[in-house]
Amino acid sequence: MTFVKVKMALQKIAPAGKLGVRLKEDALKNVISSLKTEGHAVTSVSREDGIFLLEVTKGGG
Amino acid sequence: MNEADYKELKKGGMMRQAEAGLFSVRLHVVGGRLDTTQLRAIHDAADRFGRGEVHLTSRQGVEIPNVRQDSLSALKEFLSPSGVGVGVCGPTVRTVTACQGCRVCPSGVIDSPELADAADRAFYGKPVPHKFKIGVSGCVNNCMKAEENDAGIKGWIEPRWERGPCTLCGVCAAVCPTKAIATAEDGSLTVDLDLCIGCGDCIVSCPSGGMREARRGYRLFAGGKFGRKPFLGKRILGVLTTKEEAMAAITAVLEFFRAHGKPRERFGDTLERTGFDALERRVKEVTGL
Ligand code: SF4
Ligand code: SF4
Ligand code: SF4
Repeated sequence: MTFVKVKMALQKIAPAGKLGVRLKEDALKNVISSLKTEGHAVTSVSREDGIFLLEVTKGGG
Repeated sequence: MNEADYKELKKGGMMRQAEAGLFSVRLHVVGGRLDTTQLRAIHDAADRFGRGEVHLTSRQGVEIPNVRQDSLSALKEFLSPSGVGVGVCGPTVRTVTACQGCRVCPSGVIDSPELADAADRAFYGKPVPHKFKIGVSGCVNNCMKAEENDAGIKGWIEPRWERGPCTLCGVCAAVCPTKAIATAEDGSLTVDLDLCIGCGDCIVSCPSGGMREARRGYRLFAGGKFGRKPFLGKRILGVLTTKEEAMAAITAVLEFFRAHGKPRERFGDTLERTGFDALERRVKEVTGL
């Protein structure tokens, strides 16, 4: 479900545009692996109080 | 009919039923796969020789119950053109079970039916000290319960960390279901391969390519069983990367059982006597794996 939301948000931005995504640990594998499969890139990762903050670059994979 | 005759029939897959004169006939099925010609033949045989029903066994097999003793050979002959053979029971290598593996299942790491067919051709029905079960799961999800088998195989992905591309983001350690990934004092990551269950989650989740696939293939578990005294099989050897290596390892495991097993002793009990180390040493010695 989380990946569907990320995908919808990515549709609204231009190619090579960046999207910030906040994720709990248990959603990481699903979201990151799906992003990679669909050709996007996770260009940076940071952590804040147990939440992962991902910067996703559209079509950057 | 005397007990010895019944035993012979049982070995050939004809199981005496509670009701005198009737047999449940076990068919030879590999990895739960039957084509439609075979299904039709089984359907017709159950109508003609049984009571129009089959029983699906816990290990992906099919039995035709309620066959009269005087119809047993006719049933065998009837099924033969479709390629459905009669199964085995007693102290032999039993039905090889398998999931659909990587050709069908998106999670699959190995081609489970391919290995099951090879194991079936090489070992099915061969004599051993006590019944011996082989099962193949295509990946860590383990639908075929590898550890319940005397020799169970599981598809496996072994990760390897590379410092170069790694940004030390912490994702791999966070997704690892067994907490096998740790950060060492010098900042490098370590993967504890004893804890690793070969799921590959760290690899698919790594954003930068720091966690990579070292190898993928077959992982062997030995000595598992269910029944009266259940026991989970233990992992032996490293990741075997080809079907041939997996077959060589299973062959060596069977030879070890033949050499050390006592009659009517399950393999897990043999291993409790000899120690799993003795098995692993011997298999390594014989196969060079
Ligand atoms: S064990 Fe893995 S490959 Fe086999 S059916 Fe289950 S999920 Fe698929
Ligand atoms: S997920 Fe990849 S980049 Fe992040 S710490 Fe693990 S190996 Fe390094
Ligand atoms: S393959 Fe799975 S169990 Fe092994 S280290 Fe990676 S995430 Fe952990």
